[in-house]
Amino acid sequence: MIRILRFSILPLLAAMISCSDADETEDDNNTDSFDRGEMLQNWADNIIIPSFENFEGITQNLEAKTLAFTEEPTEAGLAELRSAYVEGYLGFQTVSIFEIGEAEAVNYRANLNTYPLDAEGVEEKISSNEYNLELPSSYDEQGFPALDYLLNGLAETNTEIVEFYTSHENAEVYKNYLQNVSERINALTSVVHSGWKNSYRDDFVANTGSSSTGAVDRITNDYILYYEKFLRSGKIGIPAGAFTGNPVPGAVEAYYSPSLSKDLYLKALETTQNFFNGRHFDGSQNGPGYGDYLDYLNTIKNGEDLSSLIDGQFVTINEQAAVLDNNFVSQVENNNNDMLAAFDELQQNVILLKVDMMQAISISVDYVDSDGD
Amino acid sequence: MKKILTTLALSGLAFTSCTSDDSVNPDKTEELQVEVPAQYSFKRDGASTVSYTGQTQRLRMVKELFSSFQDFDNATQNSMSNMFSNENDPFTGAELNETSKSIKSKVAASRLYFSTNTVASNEIKADFEEFINIQANEVFPKENELAAPGQAGQIAAGSSVRYIDGKGLEADQALAKGLIGALVADQMLNNYLSVAVLDEGDNLVNNDDENVEEGKNYTAMEHKWDEAYGYLYGDASVPSEDPNSILNESEDILLFKYMGSVNNDSDFEGIAEETFEAFKTGRAAIVGGNYDLRDEQVEIIRENISTIIAVRAIYYLQAGKNQLADGQDGVAFHSLSEGYGFIYSLMFTHNPETGAPYISAENVENYLEQLMAGNGFWDVTPETLDAISEDIAAAFDFSVEQASE
Repeated sequence: MIRILRFSILPLLAAMISCSDADETEDDNNTDSFDRGEMLQNWADNIIIPSFENFEGITQNLEAKTLAFTEEPTEAGLAELRSAYVEGYLGFQTVSIFEIGEAEAVNYRANLNTYPLDAEGVEEKISSNEYNLELPSSYDEQGFPALDYLLNGLAETNTEIVEFYTSHENAEVYKNYLQNVSERINALTSVVHSGWKNSYRDDFVANTGSSSTGAVDRITNDYILYYEKFLRSGKIGIPAGAFTGNPVPGAVEAYYSPSLSKDLYLKALETTQNFFNGRHFDGSQNGPGYGDYLDYLNTIKNGEDLSSLIDGQFVTINEQAAVLDNNFVSQVENNNNDMLAAFDELQQNVILLKVDMMQAISISVDYVDSDGD
Repeated sequence: MKKILTTLALSGLAFTSCTSDDSVNPDKTEELQVEVPAQYSFKRDGASTVSYTGQTQRLRMVKELFSSFQDFDNATQNSMSNMFSNENDPFTGAELNETSKSIKSKVAASRLYFSTNTVASNEIKADFEEFINIQANEVFPKENELAAPGQAGQIAAGSSVRYIDGKGLEADQALAKGLIGALVADQMLNNYLSVAVLDEGDNLVNNDDENVEEGKNYTAMEHKWDEAYGYLYGDASVPSEDPNSILNESEDILLFKYMGSVNNDSDFEGIAEETFEAFKTGRAAIVGGNYDLRDEQVEIIRENISTIIAVRAIYYLQAGKNQLADGQDGVAFHSLSEGYGFIYSLMFTHNPETGAPYISAENVENYLEQLMAGNGFWDVTPETLDAISEDIAAAFDFSVEQASE
């Protein structure tokens, strides 16, 4: 705790000292003249909407490949469906940050990627043929974690897996369940994407206010929450037992196809870093983003630009990731220290983003980690 | 926040010697010095005189009952009702099953408010049975259905699941937050800290003469005071002598927990320490035979505990209002359910100036009816939530804004 306080005092002082060009910022009411509208536009038009456009294409393909497989379950079909699953899971990493607007309303991320999966629950639902994926209690029985299980976790060999969809006594239900899971991933994605295209984009871009209900405030909170909870803790911290001292290999993302786990991590990392830099989804250029905002405010920490520190830390995180095995389950089981090292590097940016950056751009954290009872 | 009473208690009188005119023994003219220890530590012949096992047991019972509201597979109306009244060995541990204590027997059972009002007491006990009934018979059957206006079921609250009745109420929250008033605060403020109980029978003489209870090393008065203490600080995770060392980090789910929450609000910072000081000072005053000082501490405790309940009631109504505006129904209903329970608890508060609750039972009933009108939380308007918040705040000396942070 003391560490954090020490860090937070310096940039505040530094910001006050070196902030000669920027307007003075009051407590909650940011009166600097950085063009928030332009940044919101860049985010919406060049990052978020293109990301969903791309991802919906992927989920449509996923649903189609699932249909093809369930109509005629073969090992070749399974291989194709697996490819679509991998593409889907990687694609999801590019949109998971944006749990705002329609996504927030439908609990998008919770539906598509709550893990560890409750595999037992899935099996119970299949054998009773009674399930409703719309129930919040089914979050951990659907989405990509369920696809992973249904395509990779049912048995050891491909032949045996396919049998669940052909000769198994509940084959019909397995097929239906699999189909329903893919359909729902695609349907929700369509709803969220439409939401942006229809009216949310305009509302978002026009909502340039600096109160806690302003778009910048909200998306920034979503961003920091994603970084801390889903990237740092979800992909690394919890599996590595960073908080409890007890590693949990079962909590690795893509548990039944664990050689995908590092790729998912890297993709999420890339998306997070790109958003920080306002990088267009098509990779063509960087538009206005947090880096620019911090530079505009001339935010310095320990004598360096905060934006450079954060970007530099992203580089460090990526460099550290090079030593990690593609398979995080193996990594946790064989050399968990490297996972803990990844956590430590990720944690550095939690501090720089959640404390230093938030303070510099006058946004307060609006989420509490716990259930808040 | 009235700090006047604190200043009086801590600065002047804690170490003042004074003769007590109320002393039963007019021959006692020596100075009544009161030494307040740093921790809640009181001994006689080298052994602690502090004891409140009954309270700790009841707090555990509430926890188990509360948890069973989410035990869709095994809990029934009977099993939960049995936990409420401690009949038919309902708990998992033998200790609780074998004790004669129960939650029910101490719900709305204080000397001051209910000794001549068993009608009201029974109605209140019935309210809690009703929460159990709702959960078992309305909510449990709809475990796997989505809730809707007029229909119980699941609702998403963030990425969690909540289970509500047809009016959006989470019955376990209503029960738990309602017991903060009906069990904990009522027993503390209107029973164990009352002169009627502290001074009953020969308690005064026995306390003056240090006549301890049979088989124990504490006087009756010391013990009554400790029983009040035990309702607040008695959760097993809370250290008896230095409870605030674990403030906001304990496993308590009732009053101690929310004293921590309110203490975190800068408008009410210090309330936890002030309350603890009052408990210590009052207990020391008992040991020192200074009953005026003791009763001054009771006033502080009554005001603080009542404040905590009122602040949380307003806090949750306002949080719910904002969450409803944000379209986060599930989260809002959870907040409002907690608010419901805290409002229920307001009728057990004790205004030291009037000797009565800050908010009458009648008004409490009125507020709850407003909240539950039509389809309850599905229909409630921000105007209603604001009006109730303002009403509550008006009975105290803080504002809705201060309570809402």
